[in-house]
Amino acid sequence: MLASADPATTVGIVANPASGRDIRRLVAQASVFPTAEKANMVQRICGALGVLGIGRVLMSTDLGGISAAVLRAVRTRRDSEAPWPEVEFCELDRLTESAADTTHMVRRMIDAGARVIICLGGDGTARVAAAACGDTPLLPLSTGTNNAFPRLREATVAGLAAGLVAARAVDVPTATRRASMLEVHAGERTEFALVDVCVCTARYVGSRALWDPATLTELYCTFAEPDGIGLSSVPGQLCPSPREKPDGVALRLGPPDRARHVVHAPIAPGLVVPVGVLDCRPLRPGERVELGTTHGVLAVDGERELEHRGAHPATVCLRPDGPRCIDVSAVLRAAAHQGLLTDIQLNPTEAA
Amino acid sequence: MTGTLPTQATGELSAESLLDAYRTMRTIRMFEERVHDEFATGEIPGFVHLYAGEEASATGVCSHLDDRDAIASTHRGHGHCIAKGVDVKAMMAEIYGKRTGSCQGKGGSMHIADLSKGMLGANGIVGGGPPLICGTALAAKQQGTGGVGVAFFGDGASNQGTTLESLNLASVWNLPAIFVAENNGYAEATASTWSVASDNIADRAAGFGMPGVIVDGFDFFAVHEAAGEAITRAREGGGPTLIEVKFTRYFGHFEGDQQTYRADEVANARENLDCLKRFRERVTGGGEVTDEALDTVDSEVAALIDAAVAEAKDAPKPSQADLETDVYVSY
Repeated sequence: MLASADPATTVGIVANPASGRDIRRLVAQASVFPTAEKANMVQRICGALGVLGIGRVLMSTDLGGISAAVLRAVRTRRDSEAPWPEVEFCELDRLTESAADTTHMVRRMIDAGARVIICLGGDGTARVAAAACGDTPLLPLSTGTNNAFPRLREATVAGLAAGLVAARAVDVPTATRRASMLEVHAGERTEFALVDVCVCTARYVGSRALWDPATLTELYCTFAEPDGIGLSSVPGQLCPSPREKPDGVALRLGPPDRARHVVHAPIAPGLVVPVGVLDCRPLRPGERVELGTTHGVLAVDGERELEHRGAHPATVCLRPDGPRCIDVSAVLRAAAHQGLLTDIQLNPTEAA
Repeated sequence: MTGTLPTQATGELSAESLLDAYRTMRTIRMFEERVHDEFATGEIPGFVHLYAGEEASATGVCSHLDDRDAIASTHRGHGHCIAKGVDVKAMMAEIYGKRTGSCQGKGGSMHIADLSKGMLGANGIVGGGPPLICGTALAAKQQGTGGVGVAFFGDGASNQGTTLESLNLASVWNLPAIFVAENNGYAEATASTWSVASDNIADRAAGFGMPGVIVDGFDFFAVHEAAGEAITRAREGGGPTLIEVKFTRYFGHFEGDQQTYRADEVANARENLDCLKRFRERVTGGGEVTDEALDTVDSEVAALIDAAVAEAKDAPKPSQADLETDVYVSY
């Protein structure tokens, strides 16, 4: 099987230079994800794709040093090393150093033939990439602060899974899982969340991160896992809802001394805090909920995103048609079952 | 099980605090734009390096400071001086080299200082501020004042040994020090994306065992919130923090710089990112402050700057007798 992919097969890699840098390193000892490690992950992915014979990688560009480090690696590779795909850098007319760069880059990669998008970042980056992905399979890899949506995966293994899907060695229905998402309407703005939407009494987006539960009043989650990190860990302990189920959960939050339940939840890396829950219920797909405020900040996937000051309340709706995400375990199980990474030698050399 | 959480201070800003912040940012902007105009007439001696575009950084940080605290600045120091409360008229006189200036007209733009305000000085030495702040932070710690030291420095200074040694010392001594790396993209004409090996200055914090965060330097609220957490942490004995503030300076490295090294990023920043525009949109959109109140601040600041320039021009220059004063200072 090895090195049998069509040389024209293309994989897109988008790496967010800003992920893993926000204020949660100050208030909650969140991990630091240096540029050099993100570039190393890209190289490990390229190594895995090269082994599968993937011919072309479209790599995002940035001013944060990731693409520069990858370019240096491409230029300094030696002939004796295992081959990589051709790495083409996806350049934009103007880098905005904002989420818009991720959106434009993903769209360009798909237009240029990428069959899979690998995205390096946290929940925020995955959310932006997912919104731009359409039906193209997405493989989010965790390099951010809060990583409820992207799984922690070794990049080499993720590269193998992405390559097998791009090469169509494992069929898409087997390899991918359709995620749910939350659609938020606030005035003229529409945002999507892959994990959670939260209403916050703060007046300004500020440094974006959320870490003070006293400011939170409502929480909506696509899924809630007992071992999750971030706000979804609150219902994860109280009313778990697996990713695979179509339902989400909706919670009203309040001061712990007035709440029926107080969940001690890991709402951010390094922060296990008491969160008061007034009530908790299932959120059905298609159900549109009016949020209880016309003035406030809405957070999506753990980051304050919208300062809503509309005449009408914002709304949130759970949609079943989120991004098509690659299930790395499922892909490699299929690879094992089909022997995709195993050569059978008819006349192996006998050991002396 | 209980936990003590940091407060998200931004949500607590009163209308009065918002107006104060706006006044500081507007004063810095008008001061710098006026110096830009006046420098072109040839009346101002020496060099000037303008802070326009970066107002949210000095204002967002210094709005948390009080008389216990000291800051060290850079060659681009006017904004830090204003935000720390140095008299604007005395600053303008200093820039004109007049006896009524903050330093009796002997320092000029790059050496404005006012120790009574905890402003240890603008500094012509790139990377000169961080070691000073280790000193003042050590003093605050030893004397138990609860004070902190804040070192502002640029992306160029982030590569200087003095800065890196200070980060190490502050961490080793667990000093109440905050290092604010103001990354405006260029050290003179050299792009930080080329000259800073780690690309993000904040990434270096991990190597010194302190938190490092990046904030949008065009957003007062983002800077204010991050600085508030870092300063609270320092006051409570939590040690130093490195904050990287990213933005663009609106003028050249110095007045007269032809800026052949950069394209149209300033026009884009002025149009789409400007800290004053964004601040006005957000506080008036939320109803906390009215446009009329902000317009009144604009008028008052314009009058202050007019008066500062007029008085500076009329003020006497240092005399021959002043040559022998301020030579030695006793502490």
